[in-house]
Amino acid sequence: MVKIYFLLFIEFLKIGVFALGGGYATLPFLYYLQSQYNWFSTDELTNMIAVSNITPGPVGINMATYTGYTTAGFWGALIASVAIILIPFFIVITVVKLFNKLSNCNNINYIFTGLRPASCALLTSIGFKLLFQAVVYNKPEWSFPLQIDLKAIILFIILIIPFSFIKKNPILIILAGALGGIFIQNF
Amino acid sequence: MQTSLFEIFKIFFIIGLQLLGGGYVIVPLLKKYIVDEKKWMSEEELVDYFAMSQCLPGIIACNISTAAGYKAKGISGAFCATLGIILPPFLCILLLAKILTGIVNYETIKNAFWGIRISVIILIFITIKELWSKSVNSVFTYILFFAVLATFILMPVSPAIIIILSAVTSIIYAKVQRRKNG
Repeated sequence: MVKIYFLLFIEFLKIGVFALGGGYATLPFLYYLQSQYNWFSTDELTNMIAVSNITPGPVGINMATYTGYTTAGFWGALIASVAIILIPFFIVITVVKLFNKLSNCNNINYIFTGLRPASCALLTSIGFKLLFQAVVYNKPEWSFPLQIDLKAIILFIILIIPFSFIKKNPILIILAGALGGIFIQNF
Repeated sequence: MQTSLFEIFKIFFIIGLQLLGGGYVIVPLLKKYIVDEKKWMSEEELVDYFAMSQCLPGIIACNISTAAGYKAKGISGAFCATLGIILPPFLCILLLAKILTGIVNYETIKNAFWGIRISVIILIFITIKELWSKSVNSVFTYILFFAVLATFILMPVSPAIIIILSAVTSIIYAKVQRRKNG
């Protein structure tokens, strides 16, 4: 158990430093954790993303708390949440203390011209991986012929058309998915 | 006026409770509570801290809370503000996780979560679209995007390694560009 606490701490320390660009940037790291340690299933992780979106607070903290809790209970949740903010906490204090402000961050902005597309690409690969897992239910993956889940494709199309036109509203999208799921599965 | 640490904690706890839907939502809340009501910092400082929070590693909402707390009352202020902002989500998730593990085996809840899995994928794709339109806009960024995508799909490497390599690539690219422009 102590080993799990230690691993959780190290992994979330890393996520705190390297997950750049909002709460969703933590997702590629969490899926990587899933593939490395099997602390939770991909389905559980997807449920966690949904819950993190409908509860108050930064999505990154929600995800850390939830994955920590699923992995190792209350102490796991506490360790993951503290670890993810620990290094940024000291970096922010140092920057505010030394510079009072970061002069429009022009000095480090050019690093971000490359980091933002990289972060976006990581998330894109997770998006396609999840789509594949939701629509095709072959176990193991990539065995042919592919078994397609028609219900999932129908729900995906029904949801993506209206929601690509209106302003992003996570709660509404998740609610629509829940109702759609109940309806389609009982058809 | 002496600002008490409990006051800082309380205000950020209240902000944390109202924070729904991503880090950017925190800016209008900070403006309302910290700038207008408490006057712990000016509106310009808020704008500066927000820009800074996006340029530093970490969760944007936590970074800006740490900075605002530090401005109000040094390191202990930063600690109380950060604690205040993460406590509401921490407690909410603990509570929900307990409830969810109890009810997740009912057929209707299972079906609802089956549908929510599709919702999450759509949320991810909408986020990708937003990130893409803000960041992928030149030959260099196009190449980097597809290089990272191909690497991450084909090889089981850690995202941290990819982020470090992308940072190094960006620095080299900026140096080369600068030399080219004299």
